[in-house]
Amino acid sequence: MRKPEFVYVTYIETTPERLWEALTSSEFSRRYWWNTDVVSDWKVGSPFSLVMDGTTTDAGIILEADPPRRLSYTFQHVATGEPAREPPSKVVFELERHGRLVKLTLTHEGFADGSRMLDGISKGWPAIMSSLKSLLESGRALDVPLAALDIEGVG
Amino acid sequence: MSKPSFVYVIYIASTAEKVFEALTDAKISERYWTGNHVESDWKIGSPFRLRLKREDKDVVGEVLEFEPPRRLAYTFHPHHGGMADEPPSRVTFEIEQQKDQVRLTMIHDGFEPGSKVIEGISRGWPLVLSSLKSLLETGHVVLHAPWYEGQDTRRSA
Repeated sequence: MRKPEFVYVTYIETTPERLWEALTSSEFSRRYWWNTDVVSDWKVGSPFSLVMDGTTTDAGIILEADPPRRLSYTFQHVATGEPAREPPSKVVFELERHGRLVKLTLTHEGFADGSRMLDGISKGWPAIMSSLKSLLESGRALDVPLAALDIEGVG
Repeated sequence: MSKPSFVYVIYIASTAEKVFEALTDAKISERYWTGNHVESDWKIGSPFRLRLKREDKDVVGEVLEFEPPRRLAYTFHPHHGGMADEPPSRVTFEIEQQKDQVRLTMIHDGFEPGSKVIEGISRGWPLVLSSLKSLLETGHVVLHAPWYEGQDTRRSA
């Protein structure tokens, strides 16, 4: 039986360096990630957190940082509700250059069966990744209403 | 245990009408579908065909649902690469307008365990739908499939 995980692949017309910056810089992330800062010094073992409108929603530890190819961190919801009681999961970004495109593979894994967190991130990541692609290709991020994602306890 | 399926969600700064047109128009589809294109009169029960540029046999199917600009479904039966023996699977598109963008949900299901087709389509759909988004948002698309290295051609709107 397959372990519960979420995998999302997208192709973006950009360079691995710009995409890496977009994944690790709050100036970028605020624009495509619902005004969320990605806070870390991006060294292995350092803390990582997502800060949305001043509130830390998720936190973890940097596991891998190999710019501009591979980034991973643990991920635990620390705001309110049931998902906060789940153990940390793991997020991995792989960036591969193919001509003028970068193939971005996001893998979010390490969930228990029936995880609420898995349900939430499965709805959230496609919107974030779509908005990131728009920002890098057209200069304009998307404005996907959080409430429209129908994530329990959000929006 | 649930049957294998592949689901892909992508948000596109466009209208539901334009996304629906891009999914059903032969000329538009050729631009983002790595040179392949769709063919059908889109009546329920009519044949559906995905003309494959690099194979001598097309993907064939039948139109199951056609509700512009919200919903489209067809069966999907590849005949190349030894996949003709598998039963047809099913492709469903759901299109929802939200403010200035569309949420496009693609569900490809109806596979038997161990299907070869699901391996291929799991690799193909993210590229095809990423290209569709680029075409509708920027007017151009980079046709560069990693599995067709060396065929990188940019096409303008």
